[in-house]
Amino acid sequence: MPGRRVLVAMSGGVDSSVAAALLHEQGYEIIGATMKLFCHGEDLPDRPCCSLDSVNDARRVCQQLGVPHYVLNLESAFGRDVVQDFVDEYSRGRTPIPCVRCNTFTKFRDLARKAEALECDWIATGHYARAHDGDMYRGRDHAKDQTYFLWGVERHVVARLLLPVGAQTKAETRAIAHRLGLEVIAEKTESQDICFVPDGDHLKIIRRELGDDAPALQRGPFVLQDGTAVGEHDGYARFTVGQRKGVPGGFAAPMFVVAIEPETRSVVLGPRAALLGRGLVARGMRWMCAAPLGVGDRVSVQHRHRATPVAAEIVRIDGDEIELALDAPLSAITPGQSMVLYDGERLLGGGFIESGSSAPRRLSLPVLV
Amino acid sequence: MAPPIYLDHAATTPVRSEVLEAMTPFFGARFGNPSSVHRFGRDARTALDEARSRVAACLHAQPDEIVFTSGGTEGDNLAIIGPWRMRRAQGRNAVVTSPTEHKAVLEVVHQIAREGGEERLLAVTADGVIDLRSLDGIVDEQVAVCSVMWINNEIGVVQDIPAIGARARAVGALMHTDAVQAFGKIPIDVTRLPVDLLCLSGHKIGAPKGIGAMYLRRGTPFEPLFHGGSQDRGRRPGTENVAFAVGLAVAAELQLVERERECARLGAMRDALQAAILARVPDAVIHGARVQRAPHILNLSVPGTDSESLLMALDLAGIAASGGSACQSGSVSPSHVLSAMGVSRGLAGAAVRLSVGMLSTDADIARVSDVFPALVEKARRLAGAA
Repeated sequence: MPGRRVLVAMSGGVDSSVAAALLHEQGYEIIGATMKLFCHGEDLPDRPCCSLDSVNDARRVCQQLGVPHYVLNLESAFGRDVVQDFVDEYSRGRTPIPCVRCNTFTKFRDLARKAEALECDWIATGHYARAHDGDMYRGRDHAKDQTYFLWGVERHVVARLLLPVGAQTKAETRAIAHRLGLEVIAEKTESQDICFVPDGDHLKIIRRELGDDAPALQRGPFVLQDGTAVGEHDGYARFTVGQRKGVPGGFAAPMFVVAIEPETRSVVLGPRAALLGRGLVARGMRWMCAAPLGVGDRVSVQHRHRATPVAAEIVRIDGDEIELALDAPLSAITPGQSMVLYDGERLLGGGFIESGSSAPRRLSLPVLV
Repeated sequence: MAPPIYLDHAATTPVRSEVLEAMTPFFGARFGNPSSVHRFGRDARTALDEARSRVAACLHAQPDEIVFTSGGTEGDNLAIIGPWRMRRAQGRNAVVTSPTEHKAVLEVVHQIAREGGEERLLAVTADGVIDLRSLDGIVDEQVAVCSVMWINNEIGVVQDIPAIGARARAVGALMHTDAVQAFGKIPIDVTRLPVDLLCLSGHKIGAPKGIGAMYLRRGTPFEPLFHGGSQDRGRRPGTENVAFAVGLAVAAELQLVERERECARLGAMRDALQAAILARVPDAVIHGARVQRAPHILNLSVPGTDSESLLMALDLAGIAASGGSACQSGSVSPSHVLSAMGVSRGLAGAAVRLSVGMLSTDADIARVSDVFPALVEKARRLAGAA
């Protein structure tokens, strides 16, 4: 029988605090840990997710539970693997998803290492997701489901993962927080933005890391898909595929960003229909399920946080690159974002979107599903 | 589980029972404000003056040369900024210190640089002692204050304050030393010491947190940082903390009475611990081992480990130690002291400080001698397997 010692990643928020408290109630031996991901420099106001107050909140919850609490300093790893990649992706004209990289390369990897060092049998977090027998499933509260951000977690880590709030709704979590006397924590506002981006302004970070003269922040042309220049923008890092805000008007139909071409600093515009894609290519594919799927297998794919998944077929796998043919078109398939594969509720794996395509579905052998 | 072992005396110490007893009346019947004209005030004033005299005597100083502070950080701020503000007008705009100082000195010097002063850093050797040759060309007629910590709080190395102070004063610079770790370990006689300012802190020696003292040699130019009252001759306005001042006096006297015997006891324990660890972890790197070191501090790095994990494992095993300088959040960053000594990032990131003191016993040392190597071996097995 596995032991009962568990390392709980605690952000100071209600979800992870309740996770710790629930496990404590169930008789687990809790060790609380708060990950410090970046320094609270003067340019960063207090953030709901990583501020000193959050560390203090987590410490206070641990004190209340009578369990030890530590702060894990992941600043250098976070800066290297997450912040640097974040600005590089924008430079490449893509729209990064730092939470995935943080979970994949920073948080869970370090947690697993620390759990090992401290002889913890389990790792726990406050994510809205469920884990059973090495597989991960969507959180029961679909409105809160966070599996979209968790596809990069390694299977051996999932096997040791306890996700107590994943089986309940956010409202239930808040109610439990009140029942357990975690009053201060219970009604904290949720962190919505990217934790290290002050005021939701990602340009500040790009400017800080790459300087004011970074190409992604320089003027460039708005062009139509046929190459016609139709105006100027103040830097392509301000745009993402599917965006309408900041795009010039005066066309017969509303125009959207359909592509970003960093070589010419062009932001390509097109009508709504041009956003639709029936194919999708992703790289950095990782499988979480026990046996990786292959060409011809049917999956359900989600291409944005909170997007409705669509059915698809795997039409090509080359190393860590995968291509899908979609049963129904998806709008704004955005390079840099994650595409996550599911089998119903079960998470199969995911990758970083390389491109969407309007290519028709490749003819393949009949699918016997 | 056995009771926890406290090996972090360089961070803080508990209030001694004698100190608590001496302070107690001032939380009750003897509550007066020392500045008041009535009998309550007179009573408090008498106690405060006596405390000041007794602290002064511990340093062979005059009572009027003692300024009570809130502790080491405030003392360092006062002792560097105070004289610099007076002397910058006289063409002495530079402040000299070393890169291995406590942040209470380093950050003050950075602040002075932001306010238009000049920051000059001495060189330290790989052992963490100041390279006296580096004083040439750094300590000159433009220097207002030279500030060097007597015993380094992280690795315990002892600086040659008499030599550095003599050099500083030879060119008319004022000499300040942060003696927070040194007090009670090194005999201090300011009548023979080429030092103009010196700071100590109560909570490192069995007095409460929130009290300290600054020695300010008579005639030293000094501009106060606080304004608003004539307490402490206007050098540090604000109603005095009589109880804590009394506590500091008692704690300081006890330190001096016990100094020789306690230093021998602590040194023996530290050396035993160091030998025991080296016997089982022969490649452990002891920082500052080749030079004169305070008896209570053992700072070491075990290759292939990291201090964050090791400190957590030690804590879970009931042993309280510390890493580099802990930041406000409680996270551990690689020590700036070790970095300044040229210690590699990997080794600096593995540093653990064990500091013995009044609570330490031979039994503690025996247990830590056993547990520490075991935890190290486990951490290395895991690192090797990863």
